[in-house]
Amino acid sequence: MTLSDTWRKLPRPLRIVLGRLPMVIPQMFGVIFVTFMLARLLPGDPALLMLGNMATEESIANLRAQLGLDGTLWQQFAHYMLQVLHGDLGISLFTSNPVATDLMERAPATLELVFYSMLLTVLIAVTVSVVAVVRPRGVADYFSRVYGLAAGAIPDFWVGLLLIFLFFSTLGIAAAPFGRIDPLVTPPPAVTGFYTFDSLIAGDLSAFRSSAGRLVLPVITLTIVNAGALMKMTKTTFAEIWRSDFIRHQRASGLPSRWLVRNALRNSLPPIITLVGFLVGFLLGAAVLVETIFSWGGLGQYAVQAVTYSDYPALQGFVLVAAVFILVVYLVVDILYELADPRIET
Amino acid sequence: MTADTPLLEVENLSVAYGDRTVLHDITLSLRPDEVLGIVGETGAGKSVLARAMLDLLPGGGRVTGGRIRVGGRDLATLPEPERRALRGGTVALIGTDAKSLLDPVRTVGAQVADVLRAHRRLGAAEAKAQAIELFAKVGIVDPEKRAEASPHQLSGGMAQRVVIAMALIAEPSVILADDATLGLDATIQVQVLDLLVARCRELGMGAVIITHDLGIVARYCDRVEIMRDGRIVEEAPTARFLSAPATPYGAELLGAARARPAPMARAAAKGATERPLVEVVNLVKHFTTGSGHVVRAVDDVSFAIPAGETLALVGESGSGKTTVGQCLARLLDSDGGAVLFRDRDMLGLPEKAFRPLRRDIQMVFQEPYVALNPRWTVERLVGEPLGLDPEMAGAEARRARVREMLELTRLPARLAEAYPHELTAGEQKRVGMARALATRPAFVVFDEPTTALDIRVRAQIIDLVRELQREMRLSTLFITHDLNSVRSLAHSVAVMRHGRIVEMGETERIFAAPSHDYTRMLLGAELPIERYTAA
Repeated sequence: MTLSDTWRKLPRPLRIVLGRLPMVIPQMFGVIFVTFMLARLLPGDPALLMLGNMATEESIANLRAQLGLDGTLWQQFAHYMLQVLHGDLGISLFTSNPVATDLMERAPATLELVFYSMLLTVLIAVTVSVVAVVRPRGVADYFSRVYGLAAGAIPDFWVGLLLIFLFFSTLGIAAAPFGRIDPLVTPPPAVTGFYTFDSLIAGDLSAFRSSAGRLVLPVITLTIVNAGALMKMTKTTFAEIWRSDFIRHQRASGLPSRWLVRNALRNSLPPIITLVGFLVGFLLGAAVLVETIFSWGGLGQYAVQAVTYSDYPALQGFVLVAAVFILVVYLVVDILYELADPRIET
Repeated sequence: MTADTPLLEVENLSVAYGDRTVLHDITLSLRPDEVLGIVGETGAGKSVLARAMLDLLPGGGRVTGGRIRVGGRDLATLPEPERRALRGGTVALIGTDAKSLLDPVRTVGAQVADVLRAHRRLGAAEAKAQAIELFAKVGIVDPEKRAEASPHQLSGGMAQRVVIAMALIAEPSVILADDATLGLDATIQVQVLDLLVARCRELGMGAVIITHDLGIVARYCDRVEIMRDGRIVEEAPTARFLSAPATPYGAELLGAARARPAPMARAAAKGATERPLVEVVNLVKHFTTGSGHVVRAVDDVSFAIPAGETLALVGESGSGKTTVGQCLARLLDSDGGAVLFRDRDMLGLPEKAFRPLRRDIQMVFQEPYVALNPRWTVERLVGEPLGLDPEMAGAEARRARVREMLELTRLPARLAEAYPHELTAGEQKRVGMARALATRPAFVVFDEPTTALDIRVRAQIIDLVRELQREMRLSTLFITHDLNSVRSLAHSVAVMRHGRIVEMGETERIFAAPSHDYTRMLLGAELPIERYTAA
């Protein structure tokens, strides 16, 4: 009784965070278990795969022991769990580097791409849909309708190639689609892993210009492909709230239009948050075609490589990292969602 | 502006939607310190008129003629920024269903402060302080704390006060109250309107009260305009209208709003020792909320209804009256007590044994449209309960009974093929009744049959129930908070509060000499027009 009283007295945002955070532990455990089982279910003996056809019985047995594959399923799981907790995801068969190192190198590339794409996507989708609803039959309204129709049907690699053809090959105004930074420019020392941030931290303007320039086309590509869905949904939600009784009452009370837009947008937040969270998780792996076209060297490319070369430790590592990342995204989404809507009981 | 300049003048105003004219040639004016009532039934164009006064016609309506002057200035010629300043600043609107008028994700204090800041140059903190000050004046207890609440945490009456504060805070000269208290309990309605009118008088504002309740007009308005089909058909000082309406329509409305002559003579002679048809003994029903709280919705309730009589169960929302009705029809399982029907306890019966009894015990639901399957025709809806009656197996017999029921409830036979959405609210109520009466039950529970209906429709429904009772010798439990219909229908009254019956007795006795404080409060909140029309 006293415990629940103390709980009630906490500020609502704190209750939301404290209520949601502990859920992460069983979720993480589940994710690790699933990735572990995933590797067990794959066909073939990992030791045999790793050593190739010329392996002797003895070397296979040795490797099995080394990989912890000779115990029972639960012993193996405990072993794997322990490794994961120590940050050891195994050695990639293809790159011969520890998988954790590989992933740490590539993840920031993808995350930087996803970060800027989502920023631009939200900015464009929300602005266009708000203007389209507030001024029906205006330019934004028609634009959003035409674009909304087309958006679901444009493949990302096609947009990427088109943009490269137009702005790099023909007009020559865009940066080359070969990686995250000009090979002649030294990448900034890693702090966040985002080249744009790190170069600013290091005060290296030429590195910033180069990395920002390289980002433009892939970010625009991902935005064009993904903004359609967010725009459609935001427009529907926002339009409904824009017509609602309370917005009409605020208008009748003489509130300026800008305040009305702000208040209506505040009410449209929950579905926007959900979709943005979903898109971020989705882009993590789905950006692979764009990464390939722009030789980005991100997570998606690494995963495809791992599949192509039956690089199971790398694949397992990727799945684990992606799953954990998505968990974190959904954690943030859930918390923001509850913060945005005071009607949810906490 | 002299003291005699009207605050608001509407001159030959016409409004059209496409080719359809919804307001014809409306002329009216509001003087300072005056409360004007605009009365009309659904579809009379009252709300469109209110929105037109703010230049906020919804959904593509346009002014096709005439003009509106606010404080002598023509609305049509004002530039947009001044029109915005006028909304809420000079003319403030209070709408129906306060909860839907408040932004669900922001605190109510901030919302009221916003309105002030939209009209005055003020800092957020100062505006908030003024909002809290006003909250206290509109009867919000603990205003500082309430200001931090979100709308979903407030009751309907509290939300209505917040909306009133929103209207008052920028000190406008005209308040438009468009059915502002619709759906509130009578006690809350009186508190809210008393407060609103008192504030208006105090500040010298003019008020326009738009309503379909003549009781409200009688109590609060100096003058009344009667609207019908987009026209003003009668305009008179309230007292004159109530004593002698000049038009047939006005007279008809007034007649419909009056309570019917005292209930019929008691069906059973006093001396007869006939057992009551329905007897409820110590009925108990508890609900457990999500957080483990036990709500005693019905807490030890007992009453009896003799054959052919009506017991009215009155009380505010949340008093448990609907729950009692649902326990009686066994739509809810009870947690204790007994319900004797013809001296047999029905609560203990297994569902199978109770099923044949359903023919005799029927319920008319509160919201007819929600209770009717939207994909079924009226014929099928009314005929459905006949499945309970083994004698009604043949399609011909059923058809005949449905026709008979439609006739009984005064529904035209052509409606048999109609779907619920094609019916008016009054017709839907009738279909709900026809459906309940189809099996010729001995006992019917009416749940709020007259709520949210227009004056004339309500009178028709009341007359219908009276006639049905006479013709079918029905016993009814009449659940309502509409005291006017209680006077017209009930033989006896039970007053419920917090799940208990606080007072019970014959209708005349309760209305003439209530003994419990709560009953007195309920009755005091009624706005009968008789009090004002009596010479």
